[in-house]
Amino acid sequence: MMRASRRAAIYVAVLAVAAVVAMPMYWLVVSAFKPSDEIFTATPRWLPSHLEWQNFVLAWQGAAFGRYFINSVLVVAAILLLQLTTSSLAAFALARRRFAGRGFILLAVIGALIIPIQVTFLANFITLQHFGWLDSYWALIAPFAASAFGTFLLRQSFLAVPEALEDAARLDRCTGLAFLWHFLLPLSRPTVLAFTLVALVAHWNDYFWPLIVTNRDAIRTLPIGLAMFVSQEVTTDWNLLMAATLFVAAPMLVIFFFTQRYFIRSHMHAGLKR
Amino acid sequence: MQRSSAVMGPATETAASLRASRLSRNFRGVAPYLYVLPALAALCLWNYYPLLFLVDLSFHKLDASSPVPTWDGLANYRELFADPLFWRVLRNTAIYTFLTVPLSIGLGLALAVALNQRLFGARLFRTLFYTPVVLPTVAAATVALWIFNSNYGLANYLLELLGRPPVGWLTDSSYALWTIVAIGVWKTFGYFMLVYLAALQALPQAVLEAARLDGARPWDRFWSITWPLLRPTTWFATVIALILSFQAFDFINIMTQGGPSNATNLLVFYIYQHGFQYFRLGYAAASAVVMFGLVYAISAFVSFWFNR
Repeated sequence: MMRASRRAAIYVAVLAVAAVVAMPMYWLVVSAFKPSDEIFTATPRWLPSHLEWQNFVLAWQGAAFGRYFINSVLVVAAILLLQLTTSSLAAFALARRRFAGRGFILLAVIGALIIPIQVTFLANFITLQHFGWLDSYWALIAPFAASAFGTFLLRQSFLAVPEALEDAARLDRCTGLAFLWHFLLPLSRPTVLAFTLVALVAHWNDYFWPLIVTNRDAIRTLPIGLAMFVSQEVTTDWNLLMAATLFVAAPMLVIFFFTQRYFIRSHMHAGLKR
Repeated sequence: MQRSSAVMGPATETAASLRASRLSRNFRGVAPYLYVLPALAALCLWNYYPLLFLVDLSFHKLDASSPVPTWDGLANYRELFADPLFWRVLRNTAIYTFLTVPLSIGLGLALAVALNQRLFGARLFRTLFYTPVVLPTVAAATVALWIFNSNYGLANYLLELLGRPPVGWLTDSSYALWTIVAIGVWKTFGYFMLVYLAALQALPQAVLEAARLDGARPWDRFWSITWPLLRPTTWFATVIALILSFQAFDFINIMTQGGPSNATNLLVFYIYQHGFQYFRLGYAAASAVVMFGLVYAISAFVSFWFNR
């Protein structure tokens, strides 16, 4: 009896938090589908009278969202490819090779974990200016060519592969990079995926760095495009703003919902190890 | 293999394989350095060098009036500490940090403990609570702008239902910082919930079971067994939350621009304003150095406190 009432109390509390967390997302979706005359009403409408799909068309045409979308995909794909390459190469050496200075290099990688972008952005801006790379894809991609987090995570994973497997592979003439490609990476798939998902969300959503280095539509990414759309449109068409917000957020939400079991498990893992 | 050795004869084979093995041994010595080189070079260029450069820059004057850095000693720091706005910003940042860190960690822990009890629909709740974490900050900020709109926002309508007068959530300087805190907690607590869920599932079940059999009540069980065992996780979560709260920028830049009357002006926004709106990079660098001195000092203190 005591136990049942305690469970009920916990359940009510969790439901209350759930309501507060879900409400803004519900309001985002509902507002995105409302016709304009149902946005500014004295009593807010909880459901639109009909689904106004036209909002998405108008919002998409309201700014260069097609361009922003392509830029986001290009930039994030390039960053992920670079980070996976540099991180797995470095992690391979740090986990499976003995060489002078290995400990020091590992320490340098771990140390870079605690240098956030808010420390580096002023200097990196000036560096990019010297390179003449400001306002180009290079500015959006190059500073993220390596990932201390990815290198560290992959190293931990590569360490767990038994030495005997490498010896066996060597007998079959599978050494060095071939061993990395055919054995280490496939065996570390959960970690590779975990890191890829974390990096994907971080860079797709990134607002701070693109804000600093982009100054023209041709290379702006989605978060910047949305923020600019908001600052132009504010106080007027909230249904269009919500429609635009929805299509900027949608790719990450869809990826999260489909990979979530995997994503959540890997992310917990990542959190603990970081 | 056999056939080729028969053709070349024993002597040539030995010489060739010797040369090959010496070559490969040489390569094997250099190879690890080649593998770490790309990552290490990028980390040095984009992470370590900027750290030194920032400190150096903070002692220079670099702005519209002096486009080439000129040595300026401690002038930037002197001006910074004499700026009343800087102290206001420090105070805002302290309030934001001291509210968001315990709130997001506390909420994360409470929900992790609740969801860990095999609650009906626990997985659905877990997904829901984590969703704000993967939502782009720009998207969250835009929705928040709409919900906290003074005239037609949902928040004021809900207040009206409770019979309360409307509030200028983002336009009234006595509320704006609280609104930003609420959004910050909403966006991040799901991350800490997952971190705690992982830790809870890794706890030694035997100890908890023994306490349960001994008749210890849930509340006592939590405070005398679970909470102490979660100490390393709480340490990790606190340091991450601290660093995250000092980095707060996106919501400010999109929703309030630091206003009204600097009520929501936080450190990174202050640095950004001086660097990229007033183009005073030397001064911005000095503020960034002070900010990171603070973050690392507080993190070190927290770590010391947790490990004492």
